[in-house]
Amino acid sequence: MKALSFEGSGFEYFKIWIVNILLTVITVGLYYPWAKVRNRRYFYANTRFEDRSFEYHATGKQLFFGYLIAMALFIAFAVAQQISPIASGVGFVIFIFALPWIIWRSLKFNLRMTSFSNVRFSFEGGLGNAYINFMLLPVVFFLILYGIPIAAAIIMPAVATAGVSTSLGLLIGFCLVVIPVVAFLLFAYIKMRNSHYSVNNSRYGQGQFSTRVETATFAKIALKTIGIAILSIIVLALILGAIVTATIGVNGALAIQQGMSDPDQIGSVMGSLLLIITPLYIGFIAIGIFIQAYSYTRQRTYLLENSSLDSHITFASTLTARSLTWVMISNFLMVILTLGLAMPWASVRLARVIIENTHLHSEAGFDQYFTAKQEEQSSLGEQIGDAFDIDMGVGI
Amino acid sequence: MLIQGSWHADGSAAKIKAALRADAGKVTIESDTGILFSGVTSDFKVSARLGNVERKLTLPDGSLFTTGNNDDIDQLFKESQSFLHFVHRLESRIGWVAIALVLTVAFSFGFIKWGIPWISVKVAHVLPHKTNELIAAQAFDFLDEYIFEESQLDEAKRNGIRAHFNNTLLPLAGFQSENQSDIKFTLHFRQWQQDDQGIPNALALPSGDIILTDAFVELSQNQNEIDAVLLHEIGHVIHRHSLQRVIQGTLITTIVMMATGDTSSIADIGLGLGSLLVSSEYARDHESEADLYAFETMLNSNIDPVAFSNIMTAMTSYFETSDDSKSADVEPGSTEEESLLDYISSHPVTALRIEQANRYSECFRQNLKTCEQR
Repeated sequence: MKALSFEGSGFEYFKIWIVNILLTVITVGLYYPWAKVRNRRYFYANTRFEDRSFEYHATGKQLFFGYLIAMALFIAFAVAQQISPIASGVGFVIFIFALPWIIWRSLKFNLRMTSFSNVRFSFEGGLGNAYINFMLLPVVFFLILYGIPIAAAIIMPAVATAGVSTSLGLLIGFCLVVIPVVAFLLFAYIKMRNSHYSVNNSRYGQGQFSTRVETATFAKIALKTIGIAILSIIVLALILGAIVTATIGVNGALAIQQGMSDPDQIGSVMGSLLLIITPLYIGFIAIGIFIQAYSYTRQRTYLLENSSLDSHITFASTLTARSLTWVMISNFLMVILTLGLAMPWASVRLARVIIENTHLHSEAGFDQYFTAKQEEQSSLGEQIGDAFDIDMGVGI
Repeated sequence: MLIQGSWHADGSAAKIKAALRADAGKVTIESDTGILFSGVTSDFKVSARLGNVERKLTLPDGSLFTTGNNDDIDQLFKESQSFLHFVHRLESRIGWVAIALVLTVAFSFGFIKWGIPWISVKVAHVLPHKTNELIAAQAFDFLDEYIFEESQLDEAKRNGIRAHFNNTLLPLAGFQSENQSDIKFTLHFRQWQQDDQGIPNALALPSGDIILTDAFVELSQNQNEIDAVLLHEIGHVIHRHSLQRVIQGTLITTIVMMATGDTSSIADIGLGLGSLLVSSEYARDHESEADLYAFETMLNSNIDPVAFSNIMTAMTSYFETSDDSKSADVEPGSTEEESLLDYISSHPVTALRIEQANRYSECFRQNLKTCEQR
């Protein structure tokens, strides 16, 4: 096993980033596709394994048309959202129906535009499966998660007034237990299907990626994530309680509550209130980041370890939740404190910790791989996905 | 010139050591086993320079020469440099980077401060009045469904106010807005209650529907106070503030999306907060503009602007005495020293607005038809 390396530097990327922003700003956004290509190329081309590197091949010109269409759609959507709930509802439904297609085009385009050591990747998944994975199953999931409890809340009072038989009560209780479990398992099942869809349909030249991951393991990871989330919130509440009692005491807290309704005291109350809100806010962000990092690293390690290219090139990840959390929290503070100027350093640090913890084992090397010829791809789906902030990375 | 690198056959991952030799316009690529290619510089397709990432030179037969020696490549292919090489030149000079930084910050600031409001005003006035009705239609239904109840005011009192509005106030205001004749102003009365307490407020929908709440009518001492607030609301309508807000909202959403497009979501919180502050700043400008419209119309219609000052004072003390601390989004409720809360509230500091009204009142008493801006 040998780790990938990342050779970008924060300052070098900063220069590229700020010039990109300037050109994008002074061209009222028209330069954006070129800026995007430069940003992405910087990260791809600096990702290396031994003496081979990745490359991003899309050109600004290729992305430009799709970008214009995507912006027009996005503005139409934003206007609809401001004007009328009905129009934005209709827009949302159309979006739900278009989403699988957008993701599918994105995957195809992005992999096709990516090469490693002069050999292109490609994606051969079908559109039908995209609709099952990115529309049908998620819709069923949300219906179970939100629809059924809402329906229960509507039915329950009606039932309560009419009088409940024991068997009906049991049935309702049973549903309350079973629904979350079903939703939870469905969630893990969707994860499993998505992994199979995106990995097993990916190609490197003539080579095939394959993975075999199981619903049960994703369920276990999700269960642990939920456990950690609950535990951290309890710990945060205890720490906060300790801070409040140690600094202002219970009476102080009550005084704040009374002071809020008295306009003359609001000024002094705000001060002590900040004392409570600030650690609470920071604590919540830190917990949020940790939970995200935990779930991401566990899923990634599991997926990489069970994937291979032509069964002789294998992968592994040594990325830990702790190191990723540290990078993300310090990035967050850095970006906030510099009003966004530290963004390039943050991006480079994040890329580095992820890439340099990715390992690859290849007995026979890469020399036998070659690009199979394919017709050119349209970037439309990819740009629409980008406009609505959908990122379907393949997790390299 | 000799540049060391590697060579890939067309589409192949396999690479061999190779060198590019350039001599008097003739370029050859050679490996240990012999010459792989021989031609001139214009045969090559050279990837744009980006920081110090490896350079890729595509040959006419599709094979690829790669090298990390960026400077020599730049030197050799000087003639065939594209626009992106100019971008690289910007990126590699620290002075240019500093200028780019300053320009970007200045431009962004200027665009948010002046650009967005300016575009909104222009676009709002280009769109037909129908657009206003479109926005308002659903808003009124929503308010009636979830916020308002039927007015409990005396029928005669309502009719009196409405008659005065239609027969006296509108002609006075119409005098200043002949070109706005497609707007049909209609006065409505509604009850707005929260925790068993009426909320005194006046609202204007972009369609020209103006709503007075029962508590407001009860709080007002005389017709002039009602007129002052009605003129303020008419000001919102003829300046098309609602439409401007729709456009501003769209612009801000689009810009935030573009700014976060290629970054992780960690900055989203900051941006969300930022856009909230920015839009409340715009809203404050709209309040001042509506105030100004009311004051100037009053000067020209023989109504003492002190009425505005009085009703504002009355509303402020009403909110202060009521236990309801939720007044932040209702109408004025903040005093001058609450600078933090002031930024959140969409109405400029009430004390300042009252002061402005009093100044206009002074002009009124001196029989002036205009009052100097301060």
